[in-house]
This record gives sequence, structure tokens and C-alpha cells, in this order.
Amino acid sequence: MARVIVIDLSRHNTVYVGHDRYFVLHAGGPPLLVRDHCPHRGGPLSLARPTPDGRRLSCPWHGTKVGVSAVRRGCLPMVRSGDEAVVLLPDGTEPVSVLRKEVLANLPAETGPAC
Amino acid sequence: MTPAEVRIGASLGERLLAFARGPLFRGDAQVLHAPNPYRRALAPDALAASDFTRPLTAGAPSAHRALAAHRLLGTFYEAETVLLPEQGLAPLHGDFDLFYGADLRALRENSVSELERFAFDCLADAVDVSGAGTTDVLESYFRHVVAEAATGPSPALAAVEAARDRRTAADLYVVQLALDGLTEASAMSRNLGGAYGPEQSALFKIFIDEFGYGVHDAKHTTIFAKLLRSRAMATHVHAYWNFYLAGPLATNNYYYYLSRDHAKFFRYAGAVTYAEAVFAPGFVEMVKVFRGIFGDTVDLHYCDEHAHIDEHHGRITRDQVLLALADRHGPRVVPELLRGVAEARLVGGWFEEDTAAQIRWSDDLARYRDLASNARTGRGAEPDRIVLSPDAPFTTRTRDTDVVLEMAAGEADLVATPTGPPERLARGDVLLVPAGRLHGLRAVTPEATCLVHPVSPSLEAPDSRPATATADRPAEQDG
Repeated sequence: MARVIVIDLSRHNTVYVGHDRYFVLHAGGPPLLVRDHCPHRGGPLSLARPTPDGRRLSCPWHGTKVGVSAVRRGCLPMVRSGDEAVVLLPDGTEPVSVLRKEVLANLPAETGPAC
Repeated sequence: MTPAEVRIGASLGERLLAFARGPLFRGDAQVLHAPNPYRRALAPDALAASDFTRPLTAGAPSAHRALAAHRLLGTFYEAETVLLPEQGLAPLHGDFDLFYGADLRALRENSVSELERFAFDCLADAVDVSGAGTTDVLESYFRHVVAEAATGPSPALAAVEAARDRRTAADLYVVQLALDGLTEASAMSRNLGGAYGPEQSALFKIFIDEFGYGVHDAKHTTIFAKLLRSRAMATHVHAYWNFYLAGPLATNNYYYYLSRDHAKFFRYAGAVTYAEAVFAPGFVEMVKVFRGIFGDTVDLHYCDEHAHIDEHHGRITRDQVLLALADRHGPRVVPELLRGVAEARLVGGWFEEDTAAQIRWSDDLARYRDLASNARTGRGAEPDRIVLSPDAPFTTRTRDTDVVLEMAAGEADLVATPTGPPERLARGDVLLVPAGRLHGLRAVTPEATCLVHPVSPSLEAPDSRPATATADRPAEQDG
């Protein structure tokens, strides 16, 4: 069975499952709980900025462009009702915690040239 | 203007008003509706002021617009079912012909989809589902929300328990159940046709339980009538139409909405599974509260039946419908099944909160007289003026903001409960009606005039719903 946690999206945007970190991404459509991990070298995608077209995130470590659709495909199952989100985590025993952190990935797209 | 003329280029509001102005829907001077399933007050005068251009929001389920829309939508849906009066049709053939006739049917068919979007599009903003859906995810989510419902309090039953006049409060609660209780499983019947394998047969088992295995005395609507009779209440369909609250109406309509459109079948399967799973503990709680109030004088066969059979229905729908559909049809349908569960949980909350709020307000009207004296009403603003006479149609309504009622002339009864004593308002009396609270006025002098003053700011706006409780919240930490 999956593990269930409940988060209040008005207060929290980050979930730790053991050493794995996830953040709430608003990229058009419903909010998504995505892994805070660039597939290149593991950079914090929560501190990425959207590219001007809004379709990719520019990783702060090496400028790798990560497609939002790819990030979306890997998001954790979540059912949101109002500000309450029920998150379904894979079975396991790692400790879980939730908190609020700065998420640059939800800011408007960078206006300068994409690197 | 004839219904045919109204259809050409008319807005949704104009079509709805044309429907509501039909002779069946004007109401009469009686507080309770007569044994005639075709007549129900749609309050066309109040409806005319409703804004049907701006969709409803999930945060204001008891607003006047919501009440008006769901009364209409419920009437539309029921016109697709068979309603015949118990006493026979002989004196009501004219009403039968009108209710099911071509003119109203044309208006319904031209309006129902748009009215559904008006009423239920808010669910798309209120609920969403993301991430990979698997049967395991579905089952975990389902077990979580059902456990939460089983252990959490019912706000409506808690309000009954806490009321000063618990009998009147309990009757008000029963009336909200009567909306579905006297036409039970009508929405479900729409999803029994077709061919979809063992899940279809599982759903049919539940349906035939609801219908008493073909034995009329065992049919759930029959035993619900016994509950009403034991409270000396009317048992015909929609006797208490004027007292159905917007939240319960919306909850009832939601299942018709899903089952009218088979593209929403998987959502329906999620919703009905949630409903069946939470009914059993809900009725156990209701038996406890009602026995405490009425002792052995109330017939709770209906509640005992559901407390028993819905344990089986909860298991059957979970294992043989919800999870079986996910297994058979794969991850693509899981988000819809999850959405149905989540939406049913949300609209079930509308039922609970609206009923609880109505009980609390109607049970404490003396305090709302005092609050009216201190309320800040709009200075210089012209109040609405309602002129009443004893033979005028009686209808109930809610308002989108708090208002103070002030009797300017004559006397009238404010009616806020189906069985409790009305609140007599004499000349000069004032009473605060919070936003979303259902009430009707009936003149007791040959003429009476009531002024309606808006209050600013709103004290209990229907949008100010309590935040959803969270369960299983992990410990917070900074890092």
C-alpha cells in the first residue's frame, strides 16, 4: 500500500522523503509534486527558472534545460481539494517532513536570453 | 413569450426564467407542497435577480444563485424519471402533461448542459489529480479518505445534538435526506444499462438492494417514509421542497450530473464507492443521535438497514467496482476514479456544512434579533421592499450577503425550519439573516411589508467556509 500524507498547500511547498526532496510546481494546470532533482547532476530544480517559453526549467547548476512535461511525468500521485493535498508515497519507512522553501521555478519566466 | 420564442437567441438566464414561470413552479400559499410531484416552487421572482453568467464557485455552495440553480437542475433531472402520485393521477393529468410535455422538455434539453456547466464547472478548479495512477495509489487514497470520514464528526449531526430544540433540528436533518430518500437510486439507475462486465453486475446487486429485491415494502424509499411517518411528517415526494438547502440539493444533483453523461462513468464509480463506504458509519451515528432525542418513538429501520447493508455495499463497490475497474481498464482511468472519490468527498462536505449552519442559525433566532440591532446596514442605500399577503405564494430563498429584515408594516412569520414554530415578526422587529441561510416569510395580517437591508461587511458569507481539516500531517521541520 502507498503511504499517505496530507499537506496544506497554503503553508507548505516542499516534501522530504528520507533524502529525496520534492517541491510543488505550478506550471500551468494543476499543482504538481515533482522531484527536486535535475536529471543531469542532481541540481535543485526548485531553484531553476522557467525558460521564456515556459516549457522548460533552466537548472541553476549547469544551465541544463529540463522539459516541464518530463518533470510532470515523474510527479508523485497527489489529489488536491482546495488547499489540501493528499499525497500518495511509495511504500517505505523513510521519515517524511514538509516545509516551505523558496521555489524560483514558480516565478515568471526569465526575460533575458536563455543560457 | 412562448417557450419556443424564448429558445431563439435567449440567454441561459432567460430560458431558466421562462421555465420557472410555468404554472407548475409558482408555488402556493402553503408552506408544505401538496401530494403532487410535478409542482415545486422555483421562486421566479427571486430567480429573475440571479446572475447566471458567472459560474458558481465551490466556496459558496449555499449562495442564492446556487440554491436557484440546483432547484432547477434537480427538477430537470427528475423530469427524466417517472414520478406518479401515490393517490393516483386522476386529478393531476393536466400537471402530468405539462411536466413531461414538449414545451418544458425543449427548455430543459436546451438548458441542462449549460446549467450543469454553471453549477459544476467549479469542481474542476476545486479538485485535481496528478501523478501516475495505479490501483495501489487508488486504494490507498480511498482507504485514507474513508477512514477520515469514519472517525471524523458529522457537522450536521453534531449541530442536531447541540441544538436547543433538538427535535426540530433532527427533523430539518431528515428533510435533507428526504430529497434523495424518497427517490433513492434514481441516478444510479442510469448507469445500469450497457455492457461492462462483472462491474456492471456488482453495481446491479446494490441497485436491487435499494429497490428491496422487487418487494415494495422492503424498498428503501418505503422504509424512509416510515421514518417520516414516525415523526408525523409528510411522506410524499417533495412535500418539504421549500426546505431543501442548496448544499444537499447540489450533493443530490451531483450524482445525476455524473450519471447523465457516460463519459463521466469512471468519476461516477469513484463517487458512488465513496458514498457507499461512508454511509454505513454515518447511519450508525444518526441512529445514536436520534435514539438519544426521540427514544423508541422514532422508526429508524431505514438507518439500521443502511448501517447494515452499506457495509456490504461499501465492500462491493470498493472491491468489485472501483478497484476492479482500475485493474481491468488500466492506469488511464485511475485519475478519473480518484477524481470521483475526491469530488464526492467535497460535495458531501457541502451537505454537512450547509445543514449544520442552517440548524445553528434557525435554533438561535433570538440572538439574531440582537445581532440585527447592532448590524451595520448600508446608509442611504434603498432597501428592498417585500409586500406580503396571506394568500401570496410561499417560497423560501437565501441571500448572497448578510441582510437585516425589518418589518415596516403588519406582521409576518419567518419560517426557517420544516417543523419548528415560526418566528413572528411584528412592526419594527428586526432579524439578521446571514448569507446562505434559507428562510421564507408568510404574512399573518392582511398586508405586511418587510424591508431588506444589506449588511456590510458580511458576517457569515457563504464563501467563508472553514479550512479543510488535514489528517495524517507529518511533523513539520525547517531545513
